[in-house]
Amino acid sequence: MTSPARRAALPLAAVALVAGTIGVQLGHGGGTYEPLRPADACIERPVTSQVDGIEGLTERLVLIGIDDAACTLGTSREALTLRIAQADEPTAAEIGALRRGLLSAVRRMKADGTLPPASDLVDEVLGSADLNPLLERVVRALPDSAINAALKTDDVLRRTIEGLDLRRLLRDVDDVSAIDEQIEPAVTQAVKDSLEARVRDLV
Amino acid sequence: MRRAVSVLLAVTVAMVLADSAVVTLALPDILLNLDASVGQVAWVLIAYNLVLGLAAVPAAAGLGIARPHVVSAAGIAVFAGASAWCAVAGSIEVLIVARCVQALGGALALVGCLEQLVTERGERRGVATWVTAGVVGTAAGPVVGGLLTQAISWQAIFVVQVPFAVLAVPAALAVRSTVTPPSDRHRPAVRANLTLALMSAALTAALFLLVLLLVEGWGRSPATAAVTVSVVAVAAVAAPWLVRPLRPSTEVEVATGCFLVAGGLAGLALLPSSHLGWTIAPQVLVGLGLGLTVDRLTSQAMEMRLPRARHAGWTIGARHLGVVVGLAVLTPVFTADLRDAQVPAQEAVTALVIDAPLTPQGKIAVAKTLGSALADERGQVPDLSRAFSRLDVDARDRPAAAQLERALDDQLERAANRAFRDSFLIGAGLAALALLTVVAPRRRRTS
Repeated sequence: MTSPARRAALPLAAVALVAGTIGVQLGHGGGTYEPLRPADACIERPVTSQVDGIEGLTERLVLIGIDDAACTLGTSREALTLRIAQADEPTAAEIGALRRGLLSAVRRMKADGTLPPASDLVDEVLGSADLNPLLERVVRALPDSAINAALKTDDVLRRTIEGLDLRRLLRDVDDVSAIDEQIEPAVTQAVKDSLEARVRDLV
Repeated sequence: MRRAVSVLLAVTVAMVLADSAVVTLALPDILLNLDASVGQVAWVLIAYNLVLGLAAVPAAAGLGIARPHVVSAAGIAVFAGASAWCAVAGSIEVLIVARCVQALGGALALVGCLEQLVTERGERRGVATWVTAGVVGTAAGPVVGGLLTQAISWQAIFVVQVPFAVLAVPAALAVRSTVTPPSDRHRPAVRANLTLALMSAALTAALFLLVLLLVEGWGRSPATAAVTVSVVAVAAVAAPWLVRPLRPSTEVEVATGCFLVAGGLAGLALLPSSHLGWTIAPQVLVGLGLGLTVDRLTSQAMEMRLPRARHAGWTIGARHLGVVVGLAVLTPVFTADLRDAQVPAQEAVTALVIDAPLTPQGKIAVAKTLGSALADERGQVPDLSRAFSRLDVDARDRPAAAQLERALDDQLERAANRAFRDSFLIGAGLAALALLTVVAPRRRRTS
């Protein structure tokens, strides 16, 4: 090897090694190896649940509702969830946004046809509600078409959401029995109010 | 016998310089055992390097007063005593003070051993042995420290030094120089020492940050981290052999070394995953750079300059004050970045839990467990495996929970990588500055 070639060999080899290493790393995503970035809460995303019935419906409503609330508050779904989980007391604005988000979720699910008819939920509601046995038997005997004509799922859900104490519900979020204690009366009351409203409309 | 004496003196030099970074992998253990803060633990490293850097030149001046064998023996004895003190330190404050005393003894031992190795092996071979022992010690320090911490405890790092040092004291006393140290004849090699200081700062970034990333960020054991970073030491030893056929000039070799370290650190800033395999190529670059620069620069700073020990003192000062500057610049940057990484990491974890294919009850159980795990970690990267081992979920949720645990670990590792990125890039910048000091045109001397 001639002298100039020999002098240049080491720097050239170093440049090739560094460029090769960094090039391969960038080619495999080395510049973007970062934690997930929260998605824009204002862009609708599909929501699913691993369970059926009221629990699954509630989960989907909550997921859509949090997105909507985060969009209203100008934050991400994740940031809002963490804030609610870590703060001692959610602010009035957060509670208001959550309630509006849940109501908006009901509208969205009704619009896209993912809200189940009331007859699909009746058995489950009757199983957990503390109703007069006679009345329960009567309701169970009704055909699905009669139930769906009398009760609209979106109306019941809207009334339930409006009747819930969200602040208390968030405080008890990790206590299943405490949540059930709040939701069951709210649903029962919503069903009654919805039926009354139907009857009033008929009269 | 004379060979054994030289070996013991060289091991002493390697040990003193290895101590500059030997505790890096033990820092998480020290933090827990001595109930210290991250800032206090950083001082275990800073104190040693600061005292060694400041004491080296005055220690060399001591050779004008006392004979090298006395200076060496006294230095090694103080170093050994302080090492034992470090091992029994019951608080972080005592450990930091013991480290200062250890560095003081180390400074005396380093300059004394240089004179004795020259007496034993002749000028060229003696200085070369001293320089090589220093490079090997610097590169091997974190590896040895990590293995000892994993196998025994962090105290073992200091305990194992004591018998070596006890053997080295009589060895040092056995080599008596008859030559009086020459008086001041040369000015310090400013450019070589400045390059050395900047390279030491950059290499601190490489070794200190990499082991922290492996242990704290990716949750690997100290032994795994030690074996991983041994790549740097192996490449550093191999570097001079690899470039020998090309016979480059010192300037080309040093400039290339600086460039390789800068490239290696940039590579560590751009890792594509938390798989250990991805760290190997950048570490090889750093190791080759270390092998091409530190011994060359040390030799350059000392070559033909008398008194030898005084110039060795300047190089030790430059190296270790460079380490201190590196730690002082990098520690606040990466601790702030780690703090800032918490929010994106928590949000990524939240997104995964919300979207996990778990039942609502399973999600709530995971959220509760993770919440308490995050609260227990005192600002450190949480160990999710412990949290998930306590998780009580329905049988149908278990496969999804296991998958979620892996995904969450990945997110935490991504967050840690992101947090260390700026510091690695600053390290690369320090190496690039070192390169500038090499390639910058020299001022012409006017006659």
